[in-house]
Amino acid sequence: MTFITKRHLPRRTFLRGMGVSLALPLLDSMVPAQTPLGKTAALPKSRFCGIYVPHGATMDKWTPAQVGSGFELSESLKPLEKLRDRVCVVSNLAHPAAGGVGSDAGADHARSAAVFLSGAHPEKGSVHAGMTLDQILAEHIGQDTPLPSIELAIEEVGLNCGSGYGCAYFNTISWRTPTLPLPMENSPQVVFERLFGDGSNSAQRLSRKKQDRSILDSVSDKVARLQGELDPSDRVRLGEYLDDIREIERRIQKAEAQSAHELNIPEAPVGIPEAFEDHIKLMFDLQVLAYRAEITRISTLMYARDTSGATYPNSGVRDGFHGASHHSNARARMDTFALINKYHVQMLAYFLDKLLATPDGDGNLLDHSVVLYGSSMSNGNQHDHDPLPIVVAGGASGQLKGGRHLAFPAHTPMSNLMLALLDKLGVHQGSFGDSTSKLEI
Amino acid sequence: MKRTVIPSLAALLAVAFAWRQAGGQQPAPGSQPRALLDQYCITCHNEKLKTGGLELDKLDLDQVGAHAETWEKVVRKVRAGVMPPAAARRPDRKALDAFATTVEGALDHAAAANPNPGRTPLHRMNRGEYANAIRDLLGLEVDPATLLPADDSSNGFDNIADVLGISPALLERYVSAAAKISRLAVGDPDTAPTDVTYTIKGDLSQTETIDDLPLGTRGGAMIRHNFPLDGEYLIKLSLLKLSFGQVFGQSAEGQELEVTLNGERVKLYQLEAVPYFFMRESPGAPAPEQPLTDPLAERVKMSPNIHLEFRMNVKAGPETIGVDFLQNGHAAVEDLVRRPMSSTHDPNVGMQYGYTTAPHLARVDITGPYNATGPGDTPSRRRIFVCHPGAPSEEIPCARQIISNLVRRAFRRAPVDGDLEALLSFYQQERTSTGRFEAGIEMALRRILADPEFVFRFEPSPAAAPPNTPYRISDTELASRLSFFLWSSIPDDELLNLAIQNKLHEPAVLERQTRRMLEDPRSHALATNFAGQWLYLRDLKSANPDSREFPDFDDNLRQAFQRETEMLFESILREDRSVLDLLDADYTFVNERLAKHYGIPNIYGPDFRRVPAQSDARRGLLGQGSMLLVTSNANRTSPVQRGKWILENLLGSPPPLPPPNVPPLKENSSGVAGASVRERMEEHRANPVCAGCHKIMDPIGLALENFDGVGEWRTMDSGFNIDASGQLVDGTKVDGPSSLRKALLNRPEAFVGTMTEKLLMYGVGRETKYYDMPVVRSVMRDSARDRYRFSELILGIVKSAPFQMRVKEAPSKEDNSRKAE
Repeated sequence: MTFITKRHLPRRTFLRGMGVSLALPLLDSMVPAQTPLGKTAALPKSRFCGIYVPHGATMDKWTPAQVGSGFELSESLKPLEKLRDRVCVVSNLAHPAAGGVGSDAGADHARSAAVFLSGAHPEKGSVHAGMTLDQILAEHIGQDTPLPSIELAIEEVGLNCGSGYGCAYFNTISWRTPTLPLPMENSPQVVFERLFGDGSNSAQRLSRKKQDRSILDSVSDKVARLQGELDPSDRVRLGEYLDDIREIERRIQKAEAQSAHELNIPEAPVGIPEAFEDHIKLMFDLQVLAYRAEITRISTLMYARDTSGATYPNSGVRDGFHGASHHSNARARMDTFALINKYHVQMLAYFLDKLLATPDGDGNLLDHSVVLYGSSMSNGNQHDHDPLPIVVAGGASGQLKGGRHLAFPAHTPMSNLMLALLDKLGVHQGSFGDSTSKLEI
Repeated sequence: MKRTVIPSLAALLAVAFAWRQAGGQQPAPGSQPRALLDQYCITCHNEKLKTGGLELDKLDLDQVGAHAETWEKVVRKVRAGVMPPAAARRPDRKALDAFATTVEGALDHAAAANPNPGRTPLHRMNRGEYANAIRDLLGLEVDPATLLPADDSSNGFDNIADVLGISPALLERYVSAAAKISRLAVGDPDTAPTDVTYTIKGDLSQTETIDDLPLGTRGGAMIRHNFPLDGEYLIKLSLLKLSFGQVFGQSAEGQELEVTLNGERVKLYQLEAVPYFFMRESPGAPAPEQPLTDPLAERVKMSPNIHLEFRMNVKAGPETIGVDFLQNGHAAVEDLVRRPMSSTHDPNVGMQYGYTTAPHLARVDITGPYNATGPGDTPSRRRIFVCHPGAPSEEIPCARQIISNLVRRAFRRAPVDGDLEALLSFYQQERTSTGRFEAGIEMALRRILADPEFVFRFEPSPAAAPPNTPYRISDTELASRLSFFLWSSIPDDELLNLAIQNKLHEPAVLERQTRRMLEDPRSHALATNFAGQWLYLRDLKSANPDSREFPDFDDNLRQAFQRETEMLFESILREDRSVLDLLDADYTFVNERLAKHYGIPNIYGPDFRRVPAQSDARRGLLGQGSMLLVTSNANRTSPVQRGKWILENLLGSPPPLPPPNVPPLKENSSGVAGASVRERMEEHRANPVCAGCHKIMDPIGLALENFDGVGEWRTMDSGFNIDASGQLVDGTKVDGPSSLRKALLNRPEAFVGTMTEKLLMYGVGRETKYYDMPVVRSVMRDSARDRYRFSELILGIVKSAPFQMRVKEAPSKEDNSRKAE
């Protein structure tokens, strides 16, 4: 018997559709109309993308030898050569919150993803980490777009996470509150529909959105009534649901307001591509599309889940990702693992290239973005969290200068960098996660 | 609300009584629990050292109930044989068992006096349950993966209420799923053409007949597709191609590709061969083209730009599309090289001299509807439209009847006036604005599917129930618990009616219903959801063995592995066998592909059949490819993973995680390749940091070393003879799968207890806690009387306090202050 569950259309088809829209002078006509705030605000609103790659990196092939602006890209970072002046390599950062003590000490893989953008230690036995960088930004610079943020993944959610830690810690790097992990979506088709809505033309999309709104209105009335009959903790749970309803109603209003400027929407992709490279490129394309159309400014993406055994034939490595990271510190196997790191950076370069090639206001999307790329692990063989492989790309609307290798004192908390990035993106707060101070970058 | 003593409480009391009686007898020397603790345990677990955070010297054995959590931990370790540690002085097995029995008896006694059924938080349907609910409510089969995001799981199951969270993105998906489903179910005439693509896994070999497709065909796919309206649809087929764009198997002669709709041929492509560049043209003039005799036939050349696309009229509803190649020649093919069983293991071999390949189907696209003529007659419309208004005056009463009927099933309770009024207003609004009765019904259905009472399982506490006290849940709540447990879906009419009449809680009625539901085909959900997650069958689809190491491995085998284990589990369910047969069955289920893999002769065809186990080593789960594959690395076996899997899933004693900063294994001086797996493992265990746990895990895994990374039997590995001998942590000697299996069966309580605990967790949708263990033991003991029959385990859980009761939470401070106002 053949069970056919994966439905997918190759990326080509989608891009073909996209090509149509790219040919039109979409951006110049769209952006001013869609961002009334952009005209009045002093700074253009930057985009933010947080990209997580599990299992660390072979650090001696990652960290550039020289510091400052005259550095030479390391072997694993070579794919960024053409983008060199848009990229900062940030060294000597650490994520102590991902570590553990006592019987939890070994569960580093269970914690790493949740710590990456939160700098908060995930608790065992419950679902509790920290609000993540992207969600703070979504609250501040994501509120005047239809979607405050989108959360994307490549792999399906894990089933057996073990270690007594809930799978939530494995499956997402975005936490709206310390107790609310946001599911990450790995189907390009679903992401597309979230961005553009359900329907074959703008009139149909609009009328369906209006119906959704009236349904949500009535659902929230009912929820309020049901709440009274519940135990206190369940009432809290349902209260969150009510908040969610309001959030969606807000989105629908935004989308309705925006639908007057209906985009020339590319053909929807169908299903999930089988090959990693097709899949991740499609996810990057969708983010560029979402940024460009101002549907969202904030996104997160997970290359893989911790302990993933994914293989990357195009990297030239046969071993599974997790297996390759446990290289026993043997030189040859560390070099093999570095090939995977390099391949992953090559995918990042694809994204940055696309951002660079997309005009936005007075420059391009990369000028107006911050892309934070890296891992919560250093040497995957030992599961340590210091020093981390981290790259920051993009100009943050003139706030960030690329072409530098910034090496901070050893063991500097990664949260210090995130605090600095918040600052560059217009959110000024005193601390973040386990930060000790704000990095000067 | 009346508190009722439920059967399991009586059982608990009986057990406690039995324990008292046992306590009255002369205990065997050494079973005195205090003496054993003092002699063997408190050397480490004392106030000063606090090894593992335990201070057993401080605990009063006469008051185990006061520290039930700690004592449960203690008996678990002792029962699993991991405490006292192997290196330490330890009493004999009998004394340890007696100790554990005594402490368990005391724990059970304490629990009987003060039962705690626990509390499952507000429970959201997961996406699998959602799809089943839609199937049972509307007669509509949907692919949940395209509608809802995947759910988080906890403790290996994705139906644990705690982690079934809610977020705006998720809610948005439920709302949009409601819209799509109601459109499809009613047959919205405005449905725009959409493209649905079915992709065939790239490593599916298409050289033989695929199950469900007719004999005399090879490869292809069988697709169940929901056609939204009567109308015209575009069917597009794509063949597997090489990386340079040529059709895989382009040079094969006489290939015919057939498309069927519900078994009737609707199209036949006669594929013309295109010789490879290194092939000689056939000598002589080309044969004159024969006229096509079949009106459905069309000739197409297998060139890189091949285009296989046609339109046809299809009636609305779920229809079956079959695509297959006709098996035109059975002449033996003599190649220069032995071909691996995986026909696509390297698609580019199609270009090599000396290999014979034939075209494979890669994808089917169905686009439509075009020129739709109406909603047609579909199972979902028959289910929804229980009446058809003849005159305008009949519309409201009919709408009311339709909605009331849907609400009852969707909300799993008797509808009340308030429900209907709100929904009728949705109906009315849409009816008025579109002028169509059915559009109004579609809107009301959409509202029902977005309702929290459909999406969540509400169990409101009765106002009269005192806080922090167990109370019995209502019959309708019980009906939902039962149907989600056994069917992963909503109750059917019979169950719901009994619940609405308040009869379901009656023990005889409940037992009859449970047995009826187990016999119903819907209990297949226990095989796919419970066993599928417990035994890691869901991990199979992401298992990708290294094709250079295992060139024969293909998707056909991957699917067969899953099917085999599901069928073994289902045979135990359907025939109500002992759950020990999961380990010990002397039969299994194979088709031709799997039989070849296991070396069973004379099995032909793609369908599965029951056969005697091929050897003693193959009996039960330990000899099945599914488990052996998911616990292996891509290119070799992993005795550690196999050992861990058995400890965790069959013995309920998961090993702790490796400590951090483990010094890396020294590269073998003679090079890794120069040592057998066992030798490398020995070195592994020489490290004292690792030895503690690996001594427990490794011998279990090594006992299965005769099964390679894809579960094939072997006697050599990389030039070394397999040595499967070892000693389990309790001293039992094992030397292969058979003796390992016998060792597990020798102590059935560990396996049955673990399975019971997993079933309970799955059944109540929450993590099991120490206070659930008396229930687990009681269910296990009761089922032991009938040799652990499957239905006894299920009934034990259904009758237990955690399944039938709930604890009302104390009001929060906020509530109290509100009351004071």
